[in-house]
Amino acid sequence: MSLLELQGLTKRYGGIVAVNDVTMAVEEGEVRAVIGPNGAGKTSLFHLITGVVKPTVGEIHFGGHRVSAMPAFGRCQLGMSRTFQITALFPEMSARENTRLAAQARDPKRWLPLGGGGVFAEAARRGDAALERLGLTHVAERPAGLLSHGDQRLLEVAMALAQQPRLLLMDEPTQGLSVEETAQAVDVLAGLFAGGGLTVLLVEHDMEVVFRLATKMTVLHRGTVIADGDPDSVKADPVVQDAYLGGYA
Amino acid sequence: MRMLLAVALLLALLPFGLPPYAMTLLTEALIMGLFAMSLDLMVGYARLISFGHAAAYGLGAYTCGNILLHTDIPLPFAVLLAGLFSGIVAIGVAWVCTQATGVSFSMLTLAFAQLLYAVAFKWTPVTGASDGLAGIPRSPGPFGVTWFATKSGFYYLTMACLIGGFLFARALVRSPFGAVLRGIRENEAKTLSLGYNTRLYKIAVVAASYMLGGLAGALYAPFAGFANTELLFWLLSGQVLIMVIVGGTGTLVGPILGAVFFLFVQQQLSTYTDSWALFFGVIFIGFVLFAPEGILGLARRWTRAH
Repeated sequence: MSLLELQGLTKRYGGIVAVNDVTMAVEEGEVRAVIGPNGAGKTSLFHLITGVVKPTVGEIHFGGHRVSAMPAFGRCQLGMSRTFQITALFPEMSARENTRLAAQARDPKRWLPLGGGGVFAEAARRGDAALERLGLTHVAERPAGLLSHGDQRLLEVAMALAQQPRLLLMDEPTQGLSVEETAQAVDVLAGLFAGGGLTVLLVEHDMEVVFRLATKMTVLHRGTVIADGDPDSVKADPVVQDAYLGGYA
Repeated sequence: MRMLLAVALLLALLPFGLPPYAMTLLTEALIMGLFAMSLDLMVGYARLISFGHAAAYGLGAYTCGNILLHTDIPLPFAVLLAGLFSGIVAIGVAWVCTQATGVSFSMLTLAFAQLLYAVAFKWTPVTGASDGLAGIPRSPGPFGVTWFATKSGFYYLTMACLIGGFLFARALVRSPFGAVLRGIRENEAKTLSLGYNTRLYKIAVVAASYMLGGLAGALYAPFAGFANTELLFWLLSGQVLIMVIVGGTGTLVGPILGAVFFLFVQQQLSTYTDSWALFFGVIFIGFVLFAPEGILGLARRWTRAH
């Protein structure tokens, strides 16, 4: 069984069909990119997976659990961690406190109302390791709100990694970054994914980023999956070329 | 910690140097301080702005009043029980109020307090309606100890509640639970997406806040010897919010200072004019505009500069 399975997933907003009968899977260990032109339903699909919205029809299974109707925080507790399209941090806390609070969410004693030194120590250890992996140790004590835009994006990834997720979900990881910042962020992410051990589903419209990072691709067009496979076969697919990639490949 | 011991020692020694009239004022200030500090748990640590915190105070006062009037439960236990009761009621209140966020949340807290206010006017056997509960005694005990019923004994009981409440609140905000509250304050959506069921945390902090606020109200009933509907009125909710803001939100200590400051200014100004609230309003606006971090923030700024 795949780590994440979507079966016949449909989301309607009134008369508009944002996601139409999507069936796809994410296998353990792959980095899968969902691509498609604006309005293809990428963000809606992302919201369905993370639990921001519930499907009109269809089922979502994650790690063997049916999660179609589960609230977002419940899916997190099963091992989904996500980053946002628009960076979401705790701006007044230091980078360290950000990753610490993220790691704490995976501790069964995360709610402890008194004491909790052990919880903090373990969360700080995991958080620091995540900062190290993304090369943010040198800014660990700085308030997150004062970091550069690129570092803020990486900090958000570090927060997700501090949770030791089974599935890392990334919504447009390079959105809003300059050309140089994008290049730097992609280098860091490529290094991270090459290390293995991570399962990633990312939504992205920058094709260069996608081809650098993804080992598998799913192409959406008007809410429907029109292609699925490794990057080379998707690139060569005439249907995809026609619908979306245009002259890119 | 050393600072805390010094303050505790000072408070413990004050009864030996103060006239009885000042002792009464000081006791009231400590009760108000506990009340304001309890609201800071919500306002300062989770950005849950309550416009109806008088509900906690009134619940504690009426509960304690009824216990003391109708049972033989010793005074210290009656006070603690009433605080606990207020905290338990708060779970239901918070369950409803946290359906909403932001201003809607604040309005729901106000609506609940006004609901209790209306009930207090009608439920004569329990609240005494517009007459209120009069002649609330300071029952003796435990073990036949009558000391808590004396002026200084009651002062020490109040002091113990304030210090105990402070230590409890401080442990709470420094715990893993408190770290999640800070997350909710800065970015609730992100906190939720990290896997925290933020609504449960908000309900829990409202309960803790009402428990301490109820404790303050429970002390007030035997302190004044009466409980009336004013203790549930929105005016008190507004005043305590002002104490928290003037004192400095998110500091626990600041709101206690804010309450002392409020009572002191009220005491001084009301000897000159009936419109003292007008002048306090000006002071409040001054704080919001020029010192939003409150009295404690000003004090910290001053010590850093010197």
